[in-house]
Amino acid sequence: MTLPGANDRPVGLVENEFASVSVRIDGDGNSARLRVEDLRTGEARFLDPLQLEALVHLVDERLDQLLDPSADRWRHDS
Amino acid sequence: MTAVLDDLIHPDKVHGSLYTDQAIFADELRKIWYTTWVFVGHESEVPQANDYVRKRLGLQDVVMTRDKDGEVHLLLNRCAHRGNQVCDDDKGNSGSFRCPYHGWTYRNTGELLGYPYNQGYGGKNKLELGMGKVPRVASYQGFVFGSFAAEGPSLIEHLGAAAGEIDRLVGLSPEGRVGLSAGWLQHKTKANWKLLAENETDGYHPQFVHGSIFGVTGSPIGALYSDSSTAVTRNLGNGHSENDLRPEFRKFDEPMRWFGTTADRVPDYVAAMRETHGEDAERRMIEGAPHVMIFPNLFIAEIQVFNIQPVAVGECIQYATAVQLAGGGELNKRMISQSIGSVGPAGMLLADDTEMYERNQRGVETLTPEWLDVRRGLHREQVDENGFTIGTATDETGMRGFWAHYKTLMEA
Repeated sequence: MTLPGANDRPVGLVENEFASVSVRIDGDGNSARLRVEDLRTGEARFLDPLQLEALVHLVDERLDQLLDPSADRWRHDS
Repeated sequence: MTAVLDDLIHPDKVHGSLYTDQAIFADELRKIWYTTWVFVGHESEVPQANDYVRKRLGLQDVVMTRDKDGEVHLLLNRCAHRGNQVCDDDKGNSGSFRCPYHGWTYRNTGELLGYPYNQGYGGKNKLELGMGKVPRVASYQGFVFGSFAAEGPSLIEHLGAAAGEIDRLVGLSPEGRVGLSAGWLQHKTKANWKLLAENETDGYHPQFVHGSIFGVTGSPIGALYSDSSTAVTRNLGNGHSENDLRPEFRKFDEPMRWFGTTADRVPDYVAAMRETHGEDAERRMIEGAPHVMIFPNLFIAEIQVFNIQPVAVGECIQYATAVQLAGGGELNKRMISQSIGSVGPAGMLLADDTEMYERNQRGVETLTPEWLDVRRGLHREQVDENGFTIGTATDETGMRGFWAHYKTLMEA
């Protein structure tokens, strides 16, 4: 888990009935990055600008693959 | 059922058991609600990609979604795994839905995207399952209808002449669009759904049932529903009917009288209409909005729209919302306030109707007399220039049209 840094700025809460995620812009590194936290588990990760840019350009099929519960979070060897 | 219906439905009377019999209600679900086109919602309720709203279609819990490409879908709110309810919120925005029971995840088109620990099924993409879908979905002027029949008449064929009444409503928008985004009031009503459908174009009751609101507001509408009125009740076919008040409004020749106001009280709206529609704007603003019942459950009552859905043989829900005209300016706010005053929680119009519906239901549950009379005006019906049967403003022409179509569907 990554904890909120001293220099982060809250962006807001993004949630619906299926997920609840808090988004902050973290300023503890040498340049800004996004801190995204799954509020239902407390798990969080940083996403740097290049990773975010990659998300923007993901083709829909790749995004669908990420949404498969078995792809990462609930895979058979986890 | 044919022989039974012949006994129960006559040109001038219908049997009380049609409103109370559990077996008939079960048959209606199968032959009407899960066969013909049923109004579900409006495209303006899911304006953005991946918006969704929960709806009802008969007894079915339906999720109306707009996918990433803009197409509207009607999904049945049930997981393909163990039948759990998938969506719980009334509305939201999500490109995918995850069942809270075992995590099965669906695209908002109903397609199964995956399931946890997929080795239990031999790997990923091994199941040809998905959320159920209403087989046919179509919209007209943004009004979304669903049909559980994979084949049958198109929506346009079902709407027939009633489509022109929806056009009339949309024609009151300076931008040629209406929205139903003001939120839906939900009125639980302990009455059979048909009592409501029949009442919506019954011009015989307003002077009695709605005398209080007409008196309090000084509304001129009450007088339009009298034997001296030139307004007509029209059987539009396919079970649809209308109270056509235009002949009265044309006599007065006053823009916005239909709304109970004058042109100078809504100057921005009137200017926008004249800008868009030119000389035809005056006709539109004089003739006003339709009062039309579209079989089996969409009632457009000038400034508001009702979505009627059955719950049980003796219970239904009336969903009501104010019409919002694109580019309607100050008129939209007035439409909301008038709707609150008429069909809101403390509204003075729907409360009166609902009192009658529930008293009507209690009445038809008594054993005698067994029949409900629908003969009013039968002897003076005429055929108009377009071939539609019409009666006077207070005649039961609309009800007779409703029952004729009902019988056709139930005998199919």
